[in-house]
Amino acid sequence: MTCEEFERVLPELGSGHSIEQEEHLKSCPACSDLVGDLNAISQQARHLQGSEEPSPWVWNSIEVALRQEGLIRQPQQQHALLHPPRLSWKLRWLVPAAAVFLVVAGVLMHQRGAAPARIAEQQSQPAGVVTADLQRPNQPEVMAGDDLQLLNTVASRTPSMRAAYEENLRAVNAYIRDAEQSAHSDPNDEVAQQYLRNAYEQKAMVYEMALDRSLP
Amino acid sequence: MYRKRATTIAVVMILVLAAFAAAQTTRKEMHFKVGRRASISIVNQYGPISVKPGPGKRVMVTATLYSGKVEIDQSKRGNRVSVLSHLLDGADATTGRVDYEVLVPADASVTLHSTTGPLRVEKLRGDVILEGSTAMVDVRDVNAAHVHVKTLNGPVTLTNVSDGYVEVTSVSGDVALNAVNGAQVHVNSSSGRIHYDGDFGEAGQYSLTSHSGDIEAIAPSYASIEVVARSVQGRVENDFPLEPEHTSFVTRAGSAFAGTVGKAASSVKLLSFSGKIHLKKREQ
Repeated sequence: MTCEEFERVLPELGSGHSIEQEEHLKSCPACSDLVGDLNAISQQARHLQGSEEPSPWVWNSIEVALRQEGLIRQPQQQHALLHPPRLSWKLRWLVPAAAVFLVVAGVLMHQRGAAPARIAEQQSQPAGVVTADLQRPNQPEVMAGDDLQLLNTVASRTPSMRAAYEENLRAVNAYIRDAEQSAHSDPNDEVAQQYLRNAYEQKAMVYEMALDRSLP
Repeated sequence: MYRKRATTIAVVMILVLAAFAAAQTTRKEMHFKVGRRASISIVNQYGPISVKPGPGKRVMVTATLYSGKVEIDQSKRGNRVSVLSHLLDGADATTGRVDYEVLVPADASVTLHSTTGPLRVEKLRGDVILEGSTAMVDVRDVNAAHVHVKTLNGPVTLTNVSDGYVEVTSVSGDVALNAVNGAQVHVNSSSGRIHYDGDFGEAGQYSLTSHSGDIEAIAPSYASIEVVARSVQGRVENDFPLEPEHTSFVTRAGSAFAGTVGKAASSVKLLSFSGKIHLKKREQ
């Protein structure tokens, strides 16, 4: 088994591994470290999970994002409201992390300023929610790839809603652009930071609504 | 002669069509016994949901279905009731429509989702969570509760919400708050207009923020507020005599102001990027 094959099945691993996977883990320090890290994060996340369980809507959004990424493959058969998605326990740590990430990542990237394009590229799919416009600050008319993908998802499920989502995405993107410029011109301006947080919160909301609607 | 016959045929056809339409409409009633502070969730892709308080510890859901392309899934687990419109293949906004009328105990928490709405909730004391893309949202007479609303372009109206924790996020829907007060009242909009008409209560935190939408706040002369208002590109107006106050930004006439009125019991932030802001004094 190669590292690539192991990583492909990694998201679906439960508490046990096959003989083939065990052998690979013994012989490959990189994959072994990766599994160790995931286990450690998962253990820590369990403590958080007990104190505040995210709503089923968050689970749904994350699941769709993971499915689009190809990290999980089996379509959800039962309805999410009555039966929340059953992600592998190893992936559950992603839920609070991704939910927080949607809102915070853009603000942090903006504040740090250094190499935003690189970070956006590395975390592009779920994070693209908030980074798309950072990469194209001067092209307001062009809808970013993530946004287009989202609109296609909406259109495939509810064609009549595509126009509404497109119009609102454009409004939110315009908000983000203006808020970024405002924050850039005066990084210490609390109000500018507030605009930025609100703008990203709106974008996260649009994505959450759209992804939730896309569930079977 | 011919005209009379044509009229008769038209009437008969209308009656036949009406009968056909009535035959397609199905009414379904569901009853659930619940305890104190029950949690009720209704998810309906297409169609209105109306929630009012009912007698006793009982949830009564009346659903009207307009075709066979949608089914109702229901479940009750403990003190939690879930009802869901389950769209079948080929369902659209017309055939997938379901109208819900729901009676719940006044202390129940209610979560409603509908793409098209409208969503209406009234006279409850439990938390209210409403989400609708294009849905009009109307909440009235809610006391001591969290009221969270999210829409894309659906307009939001909150009336008589007292002692609440209010959070409204709408991208382009207009938001109107009438007699709304509480510890936390926050509205976040992109292009929708925000209208507030109330007294800002006592010891509350209020923030009305928009990108390009105008913000209008109307308060009585006896309001007790510490107010900050700023628009980067829009015009800012104020009818109140303010006691000046130090702020983290420069207050420029026409684009920003800050100060206190009365004992400054509540904090009010009115922030817009390019929209106009007007703090109006209510005429007696």
